[in-house]
Amino acid sequence: MSRGALSFRAVRKVYDPEGKAVLALDGVDLDIAPGEFCAIVGPSGCGKTTLLNAVAGFETLTAGAIQLDGRTIATPDASAAPGEDRIVVFQNGALFPWRSVMWNITCGPVMQGRMSEREAREHGLKLLARVGLKGCEDKYPNDLSGGQKRRVEIVRALINDPAVLLLDEPFRALDALTKSVMQEYLLELLVQFPKTVFFITHDLEEALFLGDKVVVFTSRPGRIKEVVSVDIPKPRSHEVLTSPRFLELKAALSAVVHTEAMRAFEAGEKEMAR
Amino acid sequence: MKSLATAASAPSATPAERGVPLSAGIRKYVHRHFDLVVGAATLIAFFLAWQFARPLGIPGLSAVEPPTKVVAASWDLLSSATFWTACYKSVLRILAGFALAQIIGVPIGLMMATNRMAFHTIFPVTEILRPIPPVAWIPVAIIFWPTREMSTVFIVFLGAFWIVLLNTIGGASTIDESYRRAALSLGSNRWHLFRYIVLPATMPSIVTGMVVGMGISWEMVVAAEMIASDTGLGYLLWQSFEINAGAQVIVCMLAIGIAGFVSSALIGRVGRLLTPWQGRR
Repeated sequence: MSRGALSFRAVRKVYDPEGKAVLALDGVDLDIAPGEFCAIVGPSGCGKTTLLNAVAGFETLTAGAIQLDGRTIATPDASAAPGEDRIVVFQNGALFPWRSVMWNITCGPVMQGRMSEREAREHGLKLLARVGLKGCEDKYPNDLSGGQKRRVEIVRALINDPAVLLLDEPFRALDALTKSVMQEYLLELLVQFPKTVFFITHDLEEALFLGDKVVVFTSRPGRIKEVVSVDIPKPRSHEVLTSPRFLELKAALSAVVHTEAMRAFEAGEKEMAR
Repeated sequence: MKSLATAASAPSATPAERGVPLSAGIRKYVHRHFDLVVGAATLIAFFLAWQFARPLGIPGLSAVEPPTKVVAASWDLLSSATFWTACYKSVLRILAGFALAQIIGVPIGLMMATNRMAFHTIFPVTEILRPIPPVAWIPVAIIFWPTREMSTVFIVFLGAFWIVLLNTIGGASTIDESYRRAALSLGSNRWHLFRYIVLPATMPSIVTGMVVGMGISWEMVVAAEMIASDTGLGYLLWQSFEINAGAQVIVCMLAIGIAGFVSSALIGRVGRLLTPWQGRR
C-alpha cells in the first residue's frame, strides 16, 4: 500500500463572516500513513469538518498546506478543487434521491470516463452484494433504511478507488445497534479494500474501536491536543469494546475529551453573555 | 374474567339474536364512514336548499336558476357546437399560455438561481412587474398584441409565469450543498452538475409551480375571454349572462370548474412522471 499518505503542515483557517474573524484551525501538524485509519475527535465547532472540507477540496486554507502523496492539495494560493482521489461520505448523507442506487454508485467512474456504464454496473453489483445489498440496485435511495443508505454511500466512494476516504460522522444518525453493525461492516470492507481513512466522530468509543490512531482536537480554535495510537490488533470485533486495553485507552482519552468539552461549553456561555 | 367472556359470547350463541338489528347496523356504518356520510348529507342539503330556494325564500340562492333547470340547460348546451367550440378554444389558449410560461419561466428561473449576475440583472424588473395582477394587464395586452387571440394567451402566460418563475428560483437556490459537493468529488463537470443535480433537485418545485400555475391559467383565461375575446368558455359565460340565460351561466361555471379539475389532475399525473422518486419514505 503505497497510496494515501496525508500530511498537514501548519494548517490555519480563519473564517470571516460579517467581518468578525473566527479562528477555526490553528497550527495543525499531522501525518497519516498510507492505509492508516485516523479518527478525529473533538467538541462541536472545533474545526474537524473544516479540516475535512479542506482535504476534500471544498474549502481553501488561510495558511499552511495539505499534501496527499507529496502532491499539494490545499494551500492558501490555490483555489479549492475536489478530486475523485478524495471522496467524502457526508454527515447527513448525500445520495442523489432522484436516481437509482445503481446510478448513484456508478456515476463517479462513468462521469470520469474511467469505466463504461456496463463495466461500472458489473463492478457495482459485486460491491453491493459484498455489503449485503443484493437486489437493491434499482431502488431509489429513499426506499432504503438509514443503515442501508450509509452502505450504498460507502460503496459509492469505494468504487472510485480513492486514495483517501473522508468520513464525516457517517453513523451519527443511526441507532446504536445499526451503528455497531455498520462499524464492523466498515472494518471488514477496509480489509478487502485498504484505504487511508480520515474519520470524524463525536463518539470516543467509535474512534477507538475503528481507529489506528485517534487525534483529539481542542475546542475552538482547533488545535491538536493529543494523538494516541490504538495498539489493539486488527481485525477487531465488538468484543474488543470490553477488553482491558480498550477500557484503559478509553479512560485516559475521555478525561482529555471531557476537559475540552467543558472548555467549549464555558466559551459558549461567555459568548452568549457578551 | 371467565364469566365476562361467557357473558359476551352468550348472545351470539342463539341463532335468533345473531343478526344485527338494522338501526345498530346503520349506526355502525355511520360511525365507520363518518366523513362520507356527513359529506353526502351536506351535499344533499345544499341541492335541496338550492332547488327550493324560491318557495322557501332563501336570499341570494333564490336568484339562481334551480338545479333541475340547470340540468335541462346543460343538456341543450352540451349538444350544441357553440359549447364545444368554446371549450376547445379555451383549452388551446390554456395550453399555449401555460406551455410558454414553462418554456420561458423554468430556464430563466434556473439561470437566476445559479448565476448571480443573471439574478441581479433580472430581479429588479421582475419585482416591479410581479405585484401587478395579470388581469390588470388586459388593456395593455390588447393594445400591445396585434390579435385578441395573442392578448388572451399573453394574459394566461402571465398568470402562470410568475408562479413558475418563483418556484423554479426557490427550488434551485435551496439545493443541499452536499449534493453539489458530492457530485464535484465524484468528477462532475458543469454540465453534469446542471443535468444530474440542479435540474432533478429543482424538479419537485417546478412541478409545484406547474400545478399552481395551471389553476391560475384557468382563472386568467376566463377573465381575459370575458373582456378581450369573442370565443371561449369565459366569453360564453359572459354572453349567457348578457342574454339573461341564468341556467346556462351556471352550466358554463360548472364546465370551467370541471375543466380546471381535470387539468389539475393531468398535471398531477405529469408531475408524478417527472419526479418518480418523490412520495417515498
